[in-house]
Amino acid sequence: MTSETTVLSAESGIAGTAAFLADYAALLAGCGATCIRIEKNTGRMASAFGLKFDIAVMPAHVYVTVRENDNGESCVVVRKVAACGISFNLNALLSRLSWEVADNRLDLVSAVERFDRIRLTKPTGKWEVLILTSLANASFCRLFGGDAYAMLIVFFTTLAGFRLKQIMLEDGCDVRLTFICASFFSAAMSAGGCIFNIGATPELALGTSVLYLIPGVPYINAVSDIIERHYLCAFSRFMDAAVLTVCLSLGLCAGMFILGFKWF
Amino acid sequence: MVSDILIDVFEDGLFAAIAAIGFSSISNTPRRAYLTCALIAAAGHSIRYVLTMPDFGGLHIIPASMVASFATGLLAVLFAPRIKCPAEVCFFPALLPMIPGMYAYRTIEALLSCLYHTREEVFGHYFYLLAYNGLTCSFIILGMVVGATIPVFLFKKLSFTATR
Repeated sequence: MTSETTVLSAESGIAGTAAFLADYAALLAGCGATCIRIEKNTGRMASAFGLKFDIAVMPAHVYVTVRENDNGESCVVVRKVAACGISFNLNALLSRLSWEVADNRLDLVSAVERFDRIRLTKPTGKWEVLILTSLANASFCRLFGGDAYAMLIVFFTTLAGFRLKQIMLEDGCDVRLTFICASFFSAAMSAGGCIFNIGATPELALGTSVLYLIPGVPYINAVSDIIERHYLCAFSRFMDAAVLTVCLSLGLCAGMFILGFKWF
Repeated sequence: MVSDILIDVFEDGLFAAIAAIGFSSISNTPRRAYLTCALIAAAGHSIRYVLTMPDFGGLHIIPASMVASFATGLLAVLFAPRIKCPAEVCFFPALLPMIPGMYAYRTIEALLSCLYHTREEVFGHYFYLLAYNGLTCSFIILGMVVGATIPVFLFKKLSFTATR
């Protein structure tokens, strides 16, 4: 749904409110918020608009039902979950918007305007993410007991693998294929440490080199959804994360086999 | 002796903090949350490190991870309102350095070894490694996630008003 359509729908009463709330919930779900946060934030805004409200958060869609208190007129809007990727920045901005609507009694048009501005928020710079992730994975290696050589190997293999991931995702490649390729690339490069016996802990470098790909947020969200009995979403998030974990494992194994590195 | 322990704990916390900042950036965390995530990760990981040290009772890594994650979740709930971010923005990146990556790696290693070896005793050995590493890895992750999520639901009002 484009920002223009949201603004237009904002002018059409209960249907506009329902469309806004559905767009809001779809973006919040897409940026990696838990189901309970989606319910609470959206419900808070519906109460501020003086409407009764129900929401069903499904793995790929959100269903929003809005009812007027007096005459019982109701409207149901279904929206596809936004494919914006995990973004805690969006999560924080959207949560703040819900409080602004509730506390400052923003009208629908103002809320929609702010929402459209939030939707245009740029993600963290790709070079910043690349460097910080490489440093993070090298630190991860140190936490597992890796020496300075292992940390250096992990830093550069993460840099290469993560850059490949960025390029493939920018080109619109399938995320699973991307994970396999990035994992293969990082593993194959860091297997060199084992083959040439660089440092005292080359196997730790190899094991850690693909860990930047582990989809930690969906795993954590899945448990949070289970606690709140959103089992469908929890299962969906868990399976998404499990498939990506399998993909990174495949890439790791393929990289090691091709370079002839053996545990046996 | 004591200074050595303190240096080890500090080093552990420092690298956990760097890891948390990096993993924060992957998830598009607001920059103002980086420092908080780093401090919470350092505290959480250091707690686990201390709990697993033989001098301090040598707790098994599974309960130690759960206790450390609970502390991480608690700190996140307390500090999230200061940076106007939801609690999960703070504790998700702070938890990631505790993910048992080497157990996961050894699980896959053992799985492939199982497939490669057919002799019963060798296969049994690798199957044992597969089960040991896989179960340890799974229960660490489960303990971590449950431990960190409990404070969010215990202090629901505080958790969900952080961005107010």
